[in-house]
Amino acid sequence: MKANKIVLAILALGTVGSINLASAEEFLVGVQIPLTGPLARVGLGTQEGIRVAAEVFNKTNGKHTIKLITVDDESAPAKAVAAVEKLASQNVVAITGGYASNNISPASDAAGKLGLAYVTSGGVDDGLVNAGRKNFFRINNTQGYQKALVGLLTDLSVKSVSIIYSTKDATHGLAADVEKTLKAKGVKVVTHAFDPLITDFKPIINKVKLRDRSEFIVMVGYENDYVGILRAARVLKPSIKGVAGVWSLATPKMAADFPDLMPNVYGTAVLPFPVQFSTEEGKRFADGYKALLNKDPDYLGQFGYVQSMLLFEAIARAADKGTLKKGGVIDEMRKTDRQTLIGRVQFDARGDNPNFTQRMGQHQGKKVELVWPKESATAKPVYPGLPW
Amino acid sequence: MTDLILQAVYSGLLQGGSYALIALGLALVFGAMNVINLAHGELVLLAAYIAYTVESQLGWNPLAAIPAAVIIVTITSSLLYFLVSRVTVHREINSLTLTFGVGVILTNLVLMIWSADVRTTSSTWMQEAFIVGELYSMRSEVLFFGVSLVLIVALWWWLSRSWYGRAVRAVSSNRDAAKLMGINPGRTELVSFIVAGILAAFAGVALFSYGVVTPGYGSVLTVKAFIITVLAGLGSIPGVLIGAILLGVAESLTITLASSALQELAGMGLFLVVLFVMPNGLFGVARRRG
Repeated sequence: MKANKIVLAILALGTVGSINLASAEEFLVGVQIPLTGPLARVGLGTQEGIRVAAEVFNKTNGKHTIKLITVDDESAPAKAVAAVEKLASQNVVAITGGYASNNISPASDAAGKLGLAYVTSGGVDDGLVNAGRKNFFRINNTQGYQKALVGLLTDLSVKSVSIIYSTKDATHGLAADVEKTLKAKGVKVVTHAFDPLITDFKPIINKVKLRDRSEFIVMVGYENDYVGILRAARVLKPSIKGVAGVWSLATPKMAADFPDLMPNVYGTAVLPFPVQFSTEEGKRFADGYKALLNKDPDYLGQFGYVQSMLLFEAIARAADKGTLKKGGVIDEMRKTDRQTLIGRVQFDARGDNPNFTQRMGQHQGKKVELVWPKESATAKPVYPGLPW
Repeated sequence: MTDLILQAVYSGLLQGGSYALIALGLALVFGAMNVINLAHGELVLLAAYIAYTVESQLGWNPLAAIPAAVIIVTITSSLLYFLVSRVTVHREINSLTLTFGVGVILTNLVLMIWSADVRTTSSTWMQEAFIVGELYSMRSEVLFFGVSLVLIVALWWWLSRSWYGRAVRAVSSNRDAAKLMGINPGRTELVSFIVAGILAAFAGVALFSYGVVTPGYGSVLTVKAFIITVLAGLGSIPGVLIGAILLGVAESLTITLASSALQELAGMGLFLVVLFVMPNGLFGVARRRG
C-alpha cells in the first residue's frame, strides 16, 4: 500500500513536471541587422546588445527561452526586406533589429504583412511612426535627440548655430527639427546639407568660417562624417566656441580611435564613461556583456539590449496567455510600461516611446561626462571648448 | 566671396590630385586590356588598411606602410590578373562580372579582418594645417598631390620610353600584331596589372592619410576612378590628371556656391556633358573597331 502511494506520488510529480516542461517553450526571434556595408559598425554594436539580452533573459526568466536567428541586411533596403521574409520562413515570432530609417521602413512593412512585431532603436525618422503601422515599435526618436541638443545649446546661451547635416532621412529630419526649434527661440541658424558620399568638408567649414560666423557647429550625421567635419574644422579653425553631434559621437570608442579630434566635443549619450550602473538590471546587463563579449557595453549595445528585452518579455507574456499566434506579441508590446536602462519606456498608438529623452555627453580628458540635463549631469560642460 | 572661391578651387585641385592617384591604375588596365577592373577600388582600400595596420600596430607614420602595401597589393593584383586572363569568351563583359565578384570578396575580407569601424590616420603631422596665404589644406593632401604628380610623370615616361611600357601600348593597340613582333601579350598584361597594383598601393596609403576609410568604400572609389578614366579618354595618362582635377574643382565649387548635397550630382553632370560633347573623352582618340 505504502509502495503504491509512493509510486502514485512519483507519477504525480512527473506529470506536473512534464506539464511545466510542455508549457516552457523556446521561441525563435529574428534579428534583421546590418553586419556588412556602410552600417556594419552600428549593426554589429546593436547585435551585441541583442545577444546579451537573450543571454540575460534565458538565465533569469526560468520558464521560456529565446533563440536568435540573425540575417544580415547588408545596409540595403531590399536586402532588409529579404531578411525579414527569410526570418519569417524560419517561423520566428517577432523581429528585433534594423538600423537606418530607410532600411527599417520597408523591413517593418514586410514584417507587418507577415503579422510580426518589429522593434528597433535604429530609426528615428518620424515617417516610421506616422505611416500607420500596427506592428512597429521603437524605443527612441528624433524628439529625444532634439530635446537634448536644444537643451544644451539653450543652457550654454548659444546665439548662432551652423547645422551641418547628412541628407539621409533621419539626419535630415532631425536637423530640420533642431533648426525650427532654435529659430523659435531666437537663435540664428544656418544649415548646410551634405551628400553622404562627401569626404572633404573644407568647403563647408570655410563657408561656416567666412560666411556664417556662427558660435557653434552642430553635426548631424554618422561617425565618418564627424571625423571629416572635425578634421576640416581643425585645419580651418573657424571662430566657434563649441561643436556638438548626435549619435555615435560621445563614446569611448571615438575617444580612443580619434584622440586628437574629440576633446570637448559634445554628443548624445545614454550613460557616462566609465560606465556605472546602479540598478540591478544595469548590473546584470554589464555582467552579461563582460561574460559574453569580454568588453564594456556601449550605447548601441544598451539600445539593442533594451529593445530586445522588452520584446522577449512581451513574447513570454503572450505565450503565457496563449495569444502568441493571435497577434499577442503586438498587443503585449503595446502594454509595455517599465523603467529600463534608458529610462521609462511605453509605446503609444503609433509605436513611439513618448518618454525618450537623450542626454548630452562631452569628451573631457579620457572620460565622457554627462553635461545635460543638470539632474543627470556628472560634470559641468567645458564651454568654450574645442578640439584645437 | 573671392576667399571662398579661391579656397574651393585650391581644395578641388588637391582633391583632384588624390582622385588622379586613385584612377591611374584603373586607367592603365582599361587602356591596356580593355578590361574594367571593378575591384580596383578594393585594391586601394586594401592598401589603406595595410597603412592602418602599420600605424596602429607599429606606431609608424603611414608613409612607412608603402613598401608593405606595394608588395601585398601587387600580389593581389597579379592574382586578379590570373583570374581575368582565364576569361577568353566575351572578355569585356565577363571580366567585368569577374572583377565585380572579386571586389565583393575583398570588401568582405577587409570587413572580417579589420571590422567595420571607421579608420583614419592618427598622425598629427599628417593632419596639421598647411597654410599658403589664405589657403588651407592638410599636410597629407599637399604631400600626396605631389606624389600623384610624380607618379603620373613616371607612368607617362614608362609608357612612352621603357620597353615594357611600349609593349603595353602595342598590345593594347593590336594584340596579334604585338605577338608577331615578339611581345608576349600575357606577360605584358600581367605587368600592367602589377603597375596598377603599385599605383593602387600609393593611392590607398594616401587615402588613409588624408581621408576616412570603411570597408564599403571601395565601390565608391571604383566609380570615381571609372568616371575619371572615361573623362580623360582611353589611354591618356595626362588626361587622368586633368579629368580628376576638373572633377575635384567642379565638386568643390558646387559645394561652395550651391550646396554640398549636390556634390555627386555635379560630378555626374560634368561626366555626362563631356561625353556628350567629346564622346572619346578629353584626350582620347577614336579607335578603329575590327
